[in-house]
Amino acid sequence: MKLLSGEILSNEKYSDNLYKMEIFSPYICNNATAGQFINVKCSPESVLDPLLRRPFGIFNIEKKFNVFSILYRVKGRGTKFISELKRGDILDFAGPMGNGIDLNGSENNILLIGGGIGIAPLYLIAKIAGGMKKNVFFAAGFKDNSYLRWEKDLIELKINHAVLTEDGSWGEKGLVSDYVWNNIRSFKNFDIYCCGPRDMLKTLQNIYKDRNNKVIALLEERMACGVGVCSGCVVKLRKGKRGFSYKKVCKDGPAFNLGEVIFD
Amino acid sequence: MTEQKSLFSYETDTVGNESSLSVRLGRIKLDNPVIACSGTFAYGLEYSQFYNTAILGAVTTKSYSLKPIKGNPPPRICETASGMLNSIGLQNDGIDMFIKKHLRQAEKLGIKIILSIFGQDLEEFRKVASRAADVKERIIAVELNLSCPNVKKGGMAFSAIPDEVEKIVSSTVSILNIPVIAKLSPNYQNLVEAAKAAKKGGAEALSVINTVVGMAVDIETFRPGLGNVLGGLSGPAVKPIALAKVYSLAREKILPVIGMGGIFSWQDALEFLLVGASAVGVGTANFVQYDVGKKIIEGLRNYLKEKKIYNINEVIGRLRT
Repeated sequence: MKLLSGEILSNEKYSDNLYKMEIFSPYICNNATAGQFINVKCSPESVLDPLLRRPFGIFNIEKKFNVFSILYRVKGRGTKFISELKRGDILDFAGPMGNGIDLNGSENNILLIGGGIGIAPLYLIAKIAGGMKKNVFFAAGFKDNSYLRWEKDLIELKINHAVLTEDGSWGEKGLVSDYVWNNIRSFKNFDIYCCGPRDMLKTLQNIYKDRNNKVIALLEERMACGVGVCSGCVVKLRKGKRGFSYKKVCKDGPAFNLGEVIFD
Repeated sequence: MTEQKSLFSYETDTVGNESSLSVRLGRIKLDNPVIACSGTFAYGLEYSQFYNTAILGAVTTKSYSLKPIKGNPPPRICETASGMLNSIGLQNDGIDMFIKKHLRQAEKLGIKIILSIFGQDLEEFRKVASRAADVKERIIAVELNLSCPNVKKGGMAFSAIPDEVEKIVSSTVSILNIPVIAKLSPNYQNLVEAAKAAKKGGAEALSVINTVVGMAVDIETFRPGLGNVLGGLSGPAVKPIALAKVYSLAREKILPVIGMGGIFSWQDALEFLLVGASAVGVGTANFVQYDVGKKIIEGLRNYLKEKKIYNINEVIGRLRT
């Protein structure tokens, strides 16, 4: 993990609120893997408002070109600031942070379930698993068609996938969790990685409650430091039969066994 | 003790052309005045990935209690204008874990440790202090977190009642026999009285300020920004408040003050020194700029060199009013 600054090679607008930023960084490309994130300063140099860095899951790594990318949605002041950065500007960030996902020990069949911007860190899992000749299926759910451009990225990876939208404007109409439920038998021997809104994760937790699949959720929480110092980004995990403990998303995660997560 | 007279004096030792950054707070001697604040640095391990944290004047550990504490429900962090609110809830894995595990790791890195402790009542403070006394040769001081809730007084901070401050300080001082720093809360009107009480109890120095009570509301969900509703505000937003508190306390010359609250740069640190702080604490800035401690030390050194000031003590308390 290092404090870094990297040149922005592109900051492409995918739709109204969705952007993909490519950053030059040999260090990240050589040291990061799927599931890890970077922590970005979202204000000009020497400016302290917005104050805290923002975590972004690594979307893609192109080792050959020393370029990695993040896919992000403009949600507040921080993401608004980085959406206005141009090609050639320098991004102040730190990384790679969090624990990477090791696919070596996983099943040969992998199901990725993403909701909204939760698809971002799953994309790199898809790419790496695909490169390992695993059988990957990507189920993605969105509100509308604002992530349409992302499907082009996925098609480049030649990954089988299903898209669901709540308004039916792209792919099938419905929720991704319903899709998973309706096709539960097809994914019987799959290892599952999911990332998305809390409601989606809660539903998936119920669906897989009494099944034997390994289900890993990539979680997000508001963070201050991102390095495991402040204990700000904790999530509640089951401990023993009745107990619980707080674990840090930044240092202990961001990947956790979905079955152990307590959604209050 | 003959220390009293020399509390605010300094030695004029300079090495070659290099300005001396060393400061003294009673019996506490630091190579430079930059201290990492409690709760923002763990015990130095994580930030050692970014720079040699042994260069800091000292690192104050997160606050340890007798038994592990789980902390508050999330969300525990909420960003505000030029600041952040937190309600971590003093999560820690207990003083014994610090002694068994973390202290050794910090020592390996060459970090000078100020151990922060707290308790729910005087009895717990005494028990934690007794544990800390077992390792007193390995730490440079103990900081008492007096902003935590006093369970026997309806949850009001110890810092709010000068008599309580004196009781806790004097009883931990007698157990520890090493310098004790009292960290006071800015949320009560009696800061000077609390400081006097800390001195009466035998404290060596004061840490001022802890976070300022605050809250935020999400207008979409109608929920508070923090799981605990109220939290502590820190960051650049509190710097003017902190500076004023340090100024008003330092001019009373009760005890040496470690000034803290929103310090993000060497210029900020210098402001605190000018109003009379003998050392400075860097807290929230560590979350944003991981190597800020190093940058502040370098900045102070360069400033002194440029101004041809050979000893940092020459700027302490030199505010012109």
